Amino acid sequence: MAQPFPYTYYACDCFDSNTAASASRAAQTPADDEDARTFDPRSPRSNYALYPLEHLLYCEDCQQIRCPRCVIEETLNWYCPSCLFEVPSSVVKSDGNRCTRNCYNCPVCTSPMTVSSLEKPTEPSATGGPYILACPYCHWSTVEIGIEFEKHTGITNQLSRIANGGKTLPTQKERDKERERRKEAEARGGIGGRDILSGSEDSPTRDGEGNAAPPGHDDIFSNLSAFYKAQMQAQTPSNPFSPHDLNFSSPSTYSRIMNLYSSTASKKQKREKPALMREAASALEGLALHDPASDIAAIERIKKEGWASTLSPARKLAQLNPHVRFDSELRPTASLLCTKRGKRCRSCRHILSKPESKITSTRYKIKLLALNHIPRLSLRALSPATTTTTPGPSHPPFNYNALRPGIPIHFLLHLSNPLFDPIRVTLATPSTTPGAIASRITILCPQFDVGANTDVWDDALSSSLSPIAKRSGDAQFEAGKIYDRGRNWTAVVLEVVPGFVTPLGGKRDEADGDVKGGGEVDADLLEIPVFVRIEFEADVSVEERGLGDSRGSKGEKERREEAFWTVLGAGRIVDV
Amino acid sequence: MSRPSARKPATKGEYIETDSGNKVSRRSAITGTANITLGGRTVIMADVHLRGDLHPTRPVPSSSGKEVTPTSISIGRCTVISTGSVIKPPSRISRGQVHYYPMKIGDNVFVGPHCAVSAISISSHVHIASHVTIHAFAIVKENVKILPHTVVPANMVIPSGSVVGGRPARVVGEVGEGWGVSGGGAGGGLGVGGGGEEKWVEGGDLRELVRSIK
Ligand SMILES: [Zn+2]
Ligand SMILES: [Zn+2]
Ligand SMILES: [Zn+2]
Ligand SMILES: [Zn+2]
Repeated sequence: MAQPFPYTYYACDCFDSNTAASASRAAQTPADDEDARTFDPRSPRSNYALYPLEHLLYCEDCQQIRCPRCVIEETLNWYCPSCLFEVPSSVVKSDGNRCTRNCYNCPVCTSPMTVSSLEKPTEPSATGGPYILACPYCHWSTVEIGIEFEKHTGITNQLSRIANGGKTLPTQKERDKERERRKEAEARGGIGGRDILSGSEDSPTRDGEGNAAPPGHDDIFSNLSAFYKAQMQAQTPSNPFSPHDLNFSSPSTYSRIMNLYSSTASKKQKREKPALMREAASALEGLALHDPASDIAAIERIKKEGWASTLSPARKLAQLNPHVRFDSELRPTASLLCTKRGKRCRSCRHILSKPESKITSTRYKIKLLALNHIPRLSLRALSPATTTTTPGPSHPPFNYNALRPGIPIHFLLHLSNPLFDPIRVTLATPSTTPGAIASRITILCPQFDVGANTDVWDDALSSSLSPIAKRSGDAQFEAGKIYDRGRNWTAVVLEVVPGFVTPLGGKRDEADGDVKGGGEVDADLLEIPVFVRIEFEADVSVEERGLGDSRGSKGEKERREEAFWTVLGAGRIVDV
Repeated sequence: MSRPSARKPATKGEYIETDSGNKVSRRSAITGTANITLGGRTVIMADVHLRGDLHPTRPVPSSSGKEVTPTSISIGRCTVISTGSVIKPPSRISRGQVHYYPMKIGDNVFVGPHCAVSAISISSHVHIASHVTIHAFAIVKENVKILPHTVVPANMVIPSGSVVGGRPARVVGEVGEGWGVSGGGAGGGLGVGGGGEEKWVEGGDLRELVRSIK
């Protein structure tokens, strides 16, 4: 998510620095050891380390920032983002991670669909129907795949019974019954259950149905799952799984089946070796043979209707059946469920955040935010409009998207302290930004103090004591002096001379400079890595230090230190 | 560096300030004023169009039997509707007639410039970026961020804590745990929010922002 300029990202140093990428960089400058290395916001790895402050948590035990990569998530509950109903975990296990109410997304544009009535005012029906699922965004509807519903509720149930075109689909029970019936018929007819490999010939047992269509995705799946079920029952008469627990649509069951396979394969059990499970060998057992005729039919159809009738990869992947090819095969997709999650520190397992489990609640039981523990840095341009006390409309707002190369720009770096103790801050930045366009960076006052985050009213009292830097119109760009300060914040000036975008513009670079410049994405982005180190004396309190350290240390102060990299997004450099 | 200085005497400026602290631009277009409620300290900027005239026409049953003015738009406290946005209550055609439904916008909601909003409800602490279209009957829950140029389709429900973007809108992420928390460190300084210039955070308390609008 791109943020508007200026922004600040904070780096979590949880990533393993001993990687190929950083090693190669270290090889270029062998003197660099890990502490001395400059954080490079342009490194691909940095994508995974930089976060806005509000996304970071803080572990008070480890005294460290915790980013989404160094926390462990625990799912508290599942809910549908559309109808906001909570789905019990047992239902998630049995029915999968989609809403089973009336929530569907458009298979064409992903917009949530609505149930609309097709009732004609001239001939009103008792139920107000027929109903369809319609997309309010792209106006695709189930009419295009020939599906209408009788009722406006229980769409999932109704949809599972209707095939595209309006034909009724059998239920699971009917499928099972039909399979049994046909198996019996096969056995009676003397056709060996295993030699149907002779092609996809429609056996004469397909009476009644009379359709030559190959079995659908669901048919194959239910046949296959019934076959595996039967195999396993035959294999292990004392079935460790109770039959009702065997649901083949859940991945956990599959993993248990896999375990079963591996445990029978391993020779730990010294009982008589069970016979090998065979694979499905007939259509009734879920064997699907590829029929070249279907390919020819597909090619013919593309010839006739063109590419427009085929599905884009995104639409195809969004479908439950990944083998669909044409837009006439689309089905509305049930909404994916969302989760509410708690987070723990990956190294010490302490809870860092825990929302209230109620779906409607937005409150947290526990929430340890980084922004309550580390200072917030913010940048803004020190344009004439902001130095004068009367901001007038005469000054146009500073355009962060058009920084002019070669001309020094003064930014104000503002640091506010959330801690209840005053902090001493040391900032460090490379003299030029990494990357193809080297911009010169100078922090005029890299070391300064920031007041404690005391009560707001203390501000009024303390302001009379410590003379706050004058805020006159004169720019105070004196090196070593802060620009301004308040109760719990201090502002310093950052001077930036943006580099030239085009290497021709007097930039005498080494040979590799040409390779690096030019085509690089976001080469014009001015991102300034700033290393922040804070020192402060904190009360050693019982809660903070834990029982082990708490003995007799009440009222004592301890020196603490915190250090992290940040990246300030200052804007984009224009090409002149 | 403009700390909240003493409020200037009310000269004839851009905004008309009501008793409850609402600031309504003289250049805004508000129709059907009687059907609009503003919670206080709410800002309506220039060229904003509030369509209060599009109110429910069905008779509202009241206990006293008296005729009550129907509400078409109710906006909470410390909410900011930025320049050029149009707030239009959602409507539905039923038996050949257009029916309007009352729209509710919560507290501390930021609606960016040039948006078109027809949601049925927007909960509190929602940040809507610029050029966003929200179609009729959409429901936006608490603590939601809508990215610029998003089109929220009709009837969509946006669950709380999500970041949505795209056309049509889909949930592209979650706001962090620190969404709307100014961190105690914001007082007296600048420095928070998406832009880094403002004294407020997206999804947070917009009082400072409201105060700074003059
Ligand atoms: Zn991390
Ligand atoms: Zn649902
Ligand atoms: Zn659609
Ligand atoms: Zn920890």
